[in-house]
Amino acid sequence: MMTSLYQHFPIFSIMVLFLGAFLIVLFGNVKPLRHAIALLAVTASLGFLIALVKPVMLNGEIIAYWMGARAPAGGYAIGIALEVDALSLFFGLLIATAVFVSCVYSIQYMRFDDNVGQYYTLFLMLAGGVMGLVLSGDLFNMFIMVEILTFAAVALTAFRNTAKGALEAAFKYLVVGCMGSTCILTGTIMLYAQAHTLNFAQLSAFIPGHMNTATVVAFALLYIGFSTKAFIVPFHPLAADAHGAAPASISVLISGVLTKSGIYGIIRLSYFLFQTMNLGTMQFILVFMGSVSMFVCVTMALAQHDFKRLLAFHSISQIGYVLTAVGLCTAMGVSSGLYHAMNHTLFKGLLFLAAGAVLQQTGTTDLGKLGGLSKKMPWTTALFLVGAFSISGIPPFNGFASKWMVYQSIYYKAVESGNIGFVFVTIIALVTSVLTLASFVKVSQSVFFGRLPKEYENVTEVPWGMRLAMSLFAILCVLTGLFPNVVTTYLTQPAANAVFNVANYINAMLGSGYAESVMGAAAPAAQAVTYVEVGLWQPVSWLLLLIIALLAVTIVAIAGKYDSVSESAAPADSKYDLFFGGEESVYSQVGGEDLFWGFKHNWRGYFNFMHELHSGIVNDYALWAVVALALVTLYMLIVF
Amino acid sequence: MILFNYIASFFLIILGFYTIVTKTNLVKTVIGLSIADYGVNLLIISIGFNPGGTAPIFTWGELNPASFFVDPIPQALTLTSIVIGACVTAMSLSLVMKLREQYGTIDTREIRRLRG
Repeated sequence: MMTSLYQHFPIFSIMVLFLGAFLIVLFGNVKPLRHAIALLAVTASLGFLIALVKPVMLNGEIIAYWMGARAPAGGYAIGIALEVDALSLFFGLLIATAVFVSCVYSIQYMRFDDNVGQYYTLFLMLAGGVMGLVLSGDLFNMFIMVEILTFAAVALTAFRNTAKGALEAAFKYLVVGCMGSTCILTGTIMLYAQAHTLNFAQLSAFIPGHMNTATVVAFALLYIGFSTKAFIVPFHPLAADAHGAAPASISVLISGVLTKSGIYGIIRLSYFLFQTMNLGTMQFILVFMGSVSMFVCVTMALAQHDFKRLLAFHSISQIGYVLTAVGLCTAMGVSSGLYHAMNHTLFKGLLFLAAGAVLQQTGTTDLGKLGGLSKKMPWTTALFLVGAFSISGIPPFNGFASKWMVYQSIYYKAVESGNIGFVFVTIIALVTSVLTLASFVKVSQSVFFGRLPKEYENVTEVPWGMRLAMSLFAILCVLTGLFPNVVTTYLTQPAANAVFNVANYINAMLGSGYAESVMGAAAPAAQAVTYVEVGLWQPVSWLLLLIIALLAVTIVAIAGKYDSVSESAAPADSKYDLFFGGEESVYSQVGGEDLFWGFKHNWRGYFNFMHELHSGIVNDYALWAVVALALVTLYMLIVF
Repeated sequence: MILFNYIASFFLIILGFYTIVTKTNLVKTVIGLSIADYGVNLLIISIGFNPGGTAPIFTWGELNPASFFVDPIPQALTLTSIVIGACVTAMSLSLVMKLREQYGTIDTREIRRLRG
């Protein structure tokens, strides 16, 4: 077989990250050198993946790469393999982009911290772990990468170990994360006992024809293991704790990258390894867990007083959309789910970076203490608003395009299957979107607008490097919203096609005809995936409308200011002021928690119940994990 | 007799999880993680076992179709798993030490500043 140069690119893009991590251990004491190494590593990793877009995304090639050229002998995979299809590359590009922007942001964000060398080492280990996970073609290698990324993420969560709750969050994350990893390893080894291989393609060929109790239990274990990595309900408290305590550049990675690795694992398991997604019962479990995550986390977010903790709950709520859409098992569902996954990385990254900017300049993320920062930090405010519009699904930003696709695909699924349950899922998705908008109104009001507290009079804008990183995310948010057709044609549709063509994945690894010979008639045929035209709407005209509205607001604001200036020419002594009667009105900031008090009062039973439930005790969270594992195992044993 | 190994390994995993869920002492939580890890290691080794097999160490001349040895792959996996288990213990114990310094306790019921 002719090997082209680009076939080596997947391993390069993993290796440069780990190599960078080790080099920083050696040379990390020199400040310019460590920044140069970190930036070079993440840029090279992104570059290698971008070079793969043409062969994999456009030509539909699947790169099977055997480490040390140990090709399969006698139809048996004996080496360790990397396999890059459009799905892997899609997630890889997402991760590389987020890591690149986060690295640019870190340079100035971490400049006041100690031991920044260790920070970059862990940062690159985390990036390399996730990259290895999505590009790997070997189940045990996936487990190793999961462990590497869990360790790096735990260590980075506790990096600012004097920050409030950092150690506590890291410990909880470590305990439940390690329970998840134990589940993944147990599931992996149980599959090995059945199939005597760890190669993903070979397992995918073998297992669907040999389902028994052991493989079903293994499936449940792997599913729960990857769910802990995606932080879907009931593992969401860990995400909230970890995001709140970690530095903002790491929150971007936990929310934009780690959750994606969990979603990737679930897709690989349920569509490739076990190929059970065509069963309604299996779709039910994904859609159910997705919908519960959507709703529970958005209501939890409404009750938060901390900026980053609130964003963390929203993050999981958006992951609920992704899981729901992926669980529909329609071409459009998977495509829209991946599109939303991409947008989630972009806008959530932007919001976390804005929160980090606020934290760095003011020293707090408490919504009750902040206010009026738009006067002091106009750039951050504008960029935050782009992110807030995107996550709330306001056209023409990217959140609208992908959420609209998700609603449509759920609704079509309801029509197609005649199942009334999907109508409820559509309603939950819409209500969640409304509540998201509500809580972002609350955040912008209590952080960026209203009156500036006295102690923040001297706050300044963040340095240009941090603004550059935020602008990169903001530009991507706008671009992916303006050109949804380009995104779906070149990124999400090839990935969705890959999801539905399992036979191609197996044959690319083990030689053509292998899937048919092992699985016989049961081999999933290469389906031609068709798409329904999505959203006949014009993002560009919405952009024009938005610009006109903004201009109108600006004109009114400037005109209003002119009046106030002329009035303030009056003598400063208050006894010359116009007297209307009564006493001088006292300005009072509407606190973040008061804005929706009516709604929260009517739902106080629910909110109090949820508050009691999220007790912060690690035993409770571990118990939830065990209960979830038991329920999923039981459900799958009954179903299969 | 290998069935006994399987039962024992799952018993260990469940015992580890039970420890994590019920014990309120952070050090015992760490012990629970380790017990679950040992359970998995026992499971991996048992899966690779062939009754009567020899150690899978051969040179080119010795290896012939009649050689009968235990499956070497699970042994390699176990080594990796043991290393990871040691890392888990080291890292979680260091976090426990730091928590003791900051909170003055290692009781999980009192380490709950992040909640709700």
